[in-house]
Amino acid sequence: MQRRTLLQWVASCAAVLPFQRLRLLAQPRELTPDAIAMLHEISPTVLPASLGAERVRATVDKFVQWTRGYREGVAMTHGYGHPRLQKTGASPVAGYVSQLAALDADARAKGGRWSSLGLETRRTLLDAALTKASVRALPPRPMGQHVVADLMAFYFRSSEANDVCYSAMIQREVCRPIAVTIRRPEPLR
Amino acid sequence: MPVHETDICIIGGGITSAMLAQKLSELRSGVHVTVVEAGRSIFDTQNRGRYRERANDYGEHPWHDDYIEDQQAAGIISMTMAVGGLALHWGGACNRFSEEDLRLESMYGLAYDWPIEWQDLERYYCEAERRLNVSGEPSAYAADRRSQPYPQGPIPLSYNLQILKAWAEKSGLKFDGLPMARNLTPFGGRGACCVYDTCGEVCPSGARYSPDFTFRQLMEPKKIVLHDRTLVRRLVLDDRRPTVVAAQGFHQDRPTDPVEYRAKTFVIASGYCWSSHLLLLSSNSRFPNGLANSSGLVGRYMNGHRFISATANIDDQTFPGQNMTHSLISREYFRCPADKPFVRHDTRVWESSAGRDPRLRTPEGKLLLGDELMADWRSRTKGSSVRLRAYVDVHPSADSRLTLDGSKKNRYGDPMPTIEHHFDEATLAREAATKVHVLNVFGTLARASNGRIAGTSEGDYLDHPGGGCRMGSDPATSVCDSFGRTHDHANLFVVGAPTTPTGGCTNGTLTFVALTLRSADEIARGFPARR
Repeated sequence: MQRRTLLQWVASCAAVLPFQRLRLLAQPRELTPDAIAMLHEISPTVLPASLGAERVRATVDKFVQWTRGYREGVAMTHGYGHPRLQKTGASPVAGYVSQLAALDADARAKGGRWSSLGLETRRTLLDAALTKASVRALPPRPMGQHVVADLMAFYFRSSEANDVCYSAMIQREVCRPIAVTIRRPEPLR
Repeated sequence: MPVHETDICIIGGGITSAMLAQKLSELRSGVHVTVVEAGRSIFDTQNRGRYRERANDYGEHPWHDDYIEDQQAAGIISMTMAVGGLALHWGGACNRFSEEDLRLESMYGLAYDWPIEWQDLERYYCEAERRLNVSGEPSAYAADRRSQPYPQGPIPLSYNLQILKAWAEKSGLKFDGLPMARNLTPFGGRGACCVYDTCGEVCPSGARYSPDFTFRQLMEPKKIVLHDRTLVRRLVLDDRRPTVVAAQGFHQDRPTDPVEYRAKTFVIASGYCWSSHLLLLSSNSRFPNGLANSSGLVGRYMNGHRFISATANIDDQTFPGQNMTHSLISREYFRCPADKPFVRHDTRVWESSAGRDPRLRTPEGKLLLGDELMADWRSRTKGSSVRLRAYVDVHPSADSRLTLDGSKKNRYGDPMPTIEHHFDEATLAREAATKVHVLNVFGTLARASNGRIAGTSEGDYLDHPGGGCRMGSDPATSVCDSFGRTHDHANLFVVGAPTTPTGGCTNGTLTFVALTLRSADEIARGFPARR
């Protein structure tokens, strides 16, 4: 085989190699320890600190569990009225890891760790990050646009947050006897 | 080619099919009933709690593979094609139509009378409610009299709905809790309601009726045979007589090996879209426009109801999330005095959190974080949002049609249907006045508690669609008689939604089931009872 022919053959093979798939395989499937640590560091800023450190930490742990349970390419609810077939997209984990690393780098550029920055500096950094990710409103549930918006949606869209907001044991979407619903919800204990 | 012999072949596996198969198995236990459904059986009830969690957490569809990708139509309201049909994920609303729906032409000079007496249909409403185990209370309006009580008492009104009922009735309208096919105690192999509040998606306890339970209960003692994943593509006529002798199709796993069902009686229970589609696909040299179509009306007069919605903000305090899938209904405007401009609609009220959900930014654009966001959210929870909706009675024109679209075909080369709804001239002429009327009703409701309407919207599709094979006494102006027996083919029936001439002004499922149960009596009469 002549050298030119060999190079042409290699080039044509390279053109059909599944680089996209290889690239995806190379991406993290789970949040890295550094990313999880950064998520914990950011969480007291974006989740209600009034919940207490333990509940904030538990919320982040549940969110990390949520990322582990994500499945790609699964049919989504196809809707009523104007139905259409949609599938879940790529795992948001890779994006989350790079977004958290970027926030860490932004914080260091401002002079220190995230937790050492003042609230308004943290707000400015988050505002810029969310704007860059085109996040304009709180997502209805984690949607993969930005890890901070998704962590916030994970909590604030929950039945638990609804109860905290109303200071009442409403327990939206929690399996319970129907008789419970006929009374004014008990105050939150 | 595999050939299956049966007495009654039911094509389609949704709620009307389930009710028909159940009743026929009771009336004629010796008669062999085969149900053929294009979609798959999803009988894994034990997994539904997990599916619901994943639907809530990740947006995943809780009914896996409940559709056939190349068997879809333009203008349909749901992609679902599976055993149980759309009633796998219906909300369970079981409202009755009113006598006016059956007498539009004779009472108002509008649309078309149904060929059924109200008292006759009312009997079958009672039967449908019994079979679906509907929970309800007698209507606050005397004209809605019933011959039998509901099989279950009403779903207890949540605290929120109690508040909203008191508010709504200040307007002078009377409201009841919505009747629903929802078990308050275990019944029919299904559990009791646990207020999962996802009735319209998936009910893990089975409290909200769904037809898969009925099919399983009929199949296990071999009362019926169910062939799922088998698409019937064509009905075949006898060489000489206008009777149907076979239904032909394919099992999904054997796309080159046709399967045939031979039966004495065929029943199309394929809903508002696929019933007309099958008749049109089954054309032959003697019936070039499709079966049952000598009137030319198969696929015409497609109906449903329009809807107008609003959100009201009121001073009374509620706690959103108690039981969001239950609601109130007023039947005040089911009846329209003959000397007044025609307008008919139901009026529904739900608890809501619209406009009071957590938000990421203030109206000025400031990013809210942590406790700030919670405080902002809490500051907007005083008073209540209320969701309002009216299903409006609109009447189809003959051009409200299902047609075959030759540019979209399934794997077998069959053209797929396209549905386009159009209204008759009288409906179009009163459209603006109807909207003004409905918005005035909403405004009156809101003002009764120092409230105001925060926003309104109109649906851009027709809900609870029906039609395409309308019933009537005259073969020149209808496809089938009041029992669904097609005028052209004595052993071919169409049941449920497709047979309705008009779509009413409230949820249609109970009516589709009641009509089907009436058809079942007539179909059974064709087979001698066992002695």
